[in-house]
Amino acid sequence: MTLAIRLPQAGLRRYGSLLSPMAWGALAVAAAVVLLSLFAPVLAPYDPDYVDLNNVLAGPSGQHLLGTDALGRDLLSRLMHGGRTSLLGPTVVVIGSTVLGLLLGLVAGWSEGWLGKVLGRLFDLLFAFPALLMAMLAIALFGKGLLAPILAMTIAYVPYVARLAQSLVVAERGRPYVQAYRVLGFRTPWVVLGRVLPNLIPTVGAQSTLNFGYVLADLAALSFIGLGVQPPTSDWGAMIEESRGALLGGYILPAFWPALVVVLVVVAVNVIGEELSDRIGGKLS
Amino acid sequence: MSQLLQIENFTLGFPGRPPLLDSVSLHVNDGEAVALVGESGSGKSLTTRAALGLLPDGSQSSGRVSVRGLDTLTATGKQLMELRRRHASMIFQDPRAGINPVRTVGDFLTETLVRLDGLSRAEATERAVTQLEQVGLRRAKELMEQHPHQLSGGMLQRVMIAAALLNSPDLLLCDEPTTALDVTTQAGIVRLLRDEQQSRGMGMLFITHDLNLAASLCERVYVLRRGEVVEHGKTQTVFLTPEQDYTRQLVEATPAIEVGGLAAPVVAGPPLLKISGLSKTYQLPRGEIITALDDAGFSLPEGGSLGIVGESGSGKSTLARLVVALETATSGELLLRNLPRPNRALKASERKVLAKDVQIVFQDPYLSLDPRIPVGNAVADVFRLHQKQGRKEAKDSARALLGRVGIGQERFDARPRALSGGQRQRVALAKALAARPRLLVLDEATSALDVSVQAQVLELVEELRDQLGLTILFVTHDLAVVSRLCSELLVMHQGRIVEQGPTARILEDPGDDYTRNLIASRPRPLWDAEPVTA
Amino acid sequence: MTATDQVQATTAPGTPTRQRDKRSAVQPAVYIVKKLLALVLTLFVASLAVFFSRFLVPGDPARFLLRGRSPKPEALEEITRQFGLDKPAWEQYLNWLGGILQGDWGRSLTYRQDVSDVLLGRLPTTLQLVALAAVFITVLGLFAGIAASLNKGFGDRFILITLTAAGAVPPFVAAIALVALFSVGLGWFPSFGSGDGGWDRIWHLTLPALALGITYIAMVARVTRSSMNEQLLREHVEVATSRGLTRGSVVARHVLRNALGPILTVSGVLVAGLLVSSAIIERTFGLSGIGQLLVQSIDRLDFGVVQAIVMVVVAAFVLVNTVVDLIQPLIDPRIAAGTESR
Repeated sequence: MTLAIRLPQAGLRRYGSLLSPMAWGALAVAAAVVLLSLFAPVLAPYDPDYVDLNNVLAGPSGQHLLGTDALGRDLLSRLMHGGRTSLLGPTVVVIGSTVLGLLLGLVAGWSEGWLGKVLGRLFDLLFAFPALLMAMLAIALFGKGLLAPILAMTIAYVPYVARLAQSLVVAERGRPYVQAYRVLGFRTPWVVLGRVLPNLIPTVGAQSTLNFGYVLADLAALSFIGLGVQPPTSDWGAMIEESRGALLGGYILPAFWPALVVVLVVVAVNVIGEELSDRIGGKLS
Repeated sequence: MSQLLQIENFTLGFPGRPPLLDSVSLHVNDGEAVALVGESGSGKSLTTRAALGLLPDGSQSSGRVSVRGLDTLTATGKQLMELRRRHASMIFQDPRAGINPVRTVGDFLTETLVRLDGLSRAEATERAVTQLEQVGLRRAKELMEQHPHQLSGGMLQRVMIAAALLNSPDLLLCDEPTTALDVTTQAGIVRLLRDEQQSRGMGMLFITHDLNLAASLCERVYVLRRGEVVEHGKTQTVFLTPEQDYTRQLVEATPAIEVGGLAAPVVAGPPLLKISGLSKTYQLPRGEIITALDDAGFSLPEGGSLGIVGESGSGKSTLARLVVALETATSGELLLRNLPRPNRALKASERKVLAKDVQIVFQDPYLSLDPRIPVGNAVADVFRLHQKQGRKEAKDSARALLGRVGIGQERFDARPRALSGGQRQRVALAKALAARPRLLVLDEATSALDVSVQAQVLELVEELRDQLGLTILFVTHDLAVVSRLCSELLVMHQGRIVEQGPTARILEDPGDDYTRNLIASRPRPLWDAEPVTA
Repeated sequence: MTATDQVQATTAPGTPTRQRDKRSAVQPAVYIVKKLLALVLTLFVASLAVFFSRFLVPGDPARFLLRGRSPKPEALEEITRQFGLDKPAWEQYLNWLGGILQGDWGRSLTYRQDVSDVLLGRLPTTLQLVALAAVFITVLGLFAGIAASLNKGFGDRFILITLTAAGAVPPFVAAIALVALFSVGLGWFPSFGSGDGGWDRIWHLTLPALALGITYIAMVARVTRSSMNEQLLREHVEVATSRGLTRGSVVARHVLRNALGPILTVSGVLVAGLLVSSAIIERTFGLSGIGQLLVQSIDRLDFGVVQAIVMVVVAAFVLVNTVVDLIQPLIDPRIAAGTESR
């Protein structure tokens, strides 16, 4: 190792700088988007599906803050309402895959025998089915919509969490502190669930946060190619698809806003996730 | 006259933080071996690296660090490279980390010759082979084709030395070059370094935390503490008649084999732990079978103290782990309080009962505590489990016990991260003792600590042993530590017990060749009449 | 290195004496055979998963396969015969697998052609697109990663922020943005079609390949950066520097060389994602490749084709990763020896 000198940081400073300014910004963006989407029915200025053919492809104005689309619908209202669908999918997938992945990862990591090996192989196999492919297969089987791809992607993201959890558990299992628990006579379930699991959560949480961004992008992509949510329901991906005609005609805004929001949310989520994993990395060394 | 290495008022630090090195001054002349001694965090590595112009990124420095008149703090990149190629070489602590694992040994050695000196590959190979043979490696030609993971640690360190000597340097910088090695291997490396330094007339700066090692190799010594030189002079003078308190403490804390001053009582009583014919084999995935422990047998009376000494791979840790049931024996008998241990993994209930008989403290103070749990709670948990105490009562017991091992009230809610290595080992000790075991296994429990801290922890163990009537099983690589703490001694080598008996008898009159070698390998001061022989 | 690590290195528990392995000549062969066996096994299980996924759909399989088409008795009969629906499940599977191995991939309901013909006709476009994207990913990704790792401070921060932003742009958004800028705005590149052969093809594929690659460029760059940063801290790099080697030699021979392993591993994993994302890109840019075919077949409820494409993508992923696994020991000899667990 080179001259890697880590001076202990003063206790207070450590908590004061819990997050970098960039991470605070990311958190603010994420929170704003979530709140605006969540309270869209109350906050949105217009009915998102209200067609006004006298006012199509209008630029931003006092009446329509972000302008209107090719059917004269208010873009801001559509963005807010679309956010509900766009954020719901990733939330379900991330929660589902995290819980399942943690569970399987714990089992795979803790059992030294064949069970761990078989589960490990299973994770490897699942890696060969990328989430988007799994989602498309599910749509081919069960038809278009959100439910099938969400379930499929939940399964597709399990190995990302499970592999990580497994390798962490294997590392922890060999640590003297875990062995000390065994020698002290603590029961295995208590050690695994009460002591080892909490030590995994920050790292796994960072991974799941990153996953959220990927899932959001993938589900939006499905809607974009017309396999995801079906009209009249709309999400950000579908909004971009609807605006392609306008785009080729030179009207950029209707496609720009949803694209910007997707990118902003994914950036925000990635920044937060990386901040988390950096923090954990620094803490463990 | 120009001194080979001259460091004057060298100060180094990061902006906004206290300096890591504060006005360090030292020098090394041609043909002279100088030691730089200090505990971890004293800044010895930083000082040495500065001689090659290797400073940490973003650091600020002042003063002068000159080699053959070239100030490395102000030298250009080109001058530094020239210096590193022609005048000064460095040997690093861990050869396994220091040699690129994905390239061959030959590539490592010939790299500088081919790229910098313009030798042809054949010429370079020839010179490298000669150099390898000179540092005592056989089959040098074959070695050139091998990768580092195929060589042992001792061999690799010889490769590292060979690489350093290829440049025929005037100055050899050694950064704890034997710390990662076993004692018997260390002896060979030290002899090689001494011979080369003498015959080539090189100047040598030898960094170590081990005073004995410094004394066995160097005429002069600098003692470094928290970035400052506290004392320097002839090695003999500094070590035998230290002027500074710190040096005195350091000298006193350094473990030495004390046959007379054994503090441990000799006990004869009914055996608490009795082992016979105990073996442990592992099967590797490739089908290879490894015997970690072969037919071990001994008995340890209640209240006794047994030291198990051996080098890496001797099976001593396997034995310790068998005793606390972290491993299951392949064959043989293990009786604890006359209860035979089943040769299978224990059930939870059995483990809980066993916990009250035997506990263990591990080597690594940084990994042996749960990073998330405040130390007070960690100890209280054990009281709740084993002494059936309530939350409140357990906390009080934990507080009392932690106080007993020297961890004050104010640290009760501290996470392990906030504690020093010595404090963590004290907490680990308290956790083990909270189960009120009769037998305490210490698996290299003080090996990772600085000598001064190690001395304090050993003292604590001694006290606890005497007050609580604990039986001690102390596993270590260090004969000196055992000589102080254990009345009985057991020497292990490659999975077998080669010798056992009273500590004093074995140390004075070892009956086995390996034991003799082990004792003789301990570094001896240069002024000691007895020559270092193996 | 701390004192802790040192002692641990000498006395790690459970590392008993080990005879140096004399059978090193046998090991590479064993390693290769093991990997190939794993490949076959994985492909087998994957084919099971792909085939039996159809059985997750409740109800009459013939009606499922004929969704969106008139369920006339003769059509039902034909589909039953074609898929062997009247036979037991395992026999259907064996027939399907046997067919695939012999090049008979079944018939497409939409195209009234053999699936293999439909696929082969579409394959070149996709391969060209992915290949061009791979070139962008390798060149730009490695370059950005190396540049970031070697320029600590401002350069690193700037590249890192750029990468974070680039990594967050989903391929379809990148496609839209590139079209808006370079096709509609500047008119430099076409927004549709795959062009004729040669340079025209490359000209047509540039925007799609960039759109497809942008996330992956960011990923490869990040891995390169972190893998190199990790190596830069290693003691052997410091040793190399201390011996007077030039910065260039040290970086090329000791940092980048050792960092290749993780980069390769990640690249292997990216392949699957790249193939699937190409579905979206092909559709956006009107390229008639496999991805476009996949989307159309889902749209037109042509399940046989979907099944075939899924199998192709999965097989490609497994194959590429086996190749990566086989190359790894050449990069790091410890892997074949089994001393470096990955």
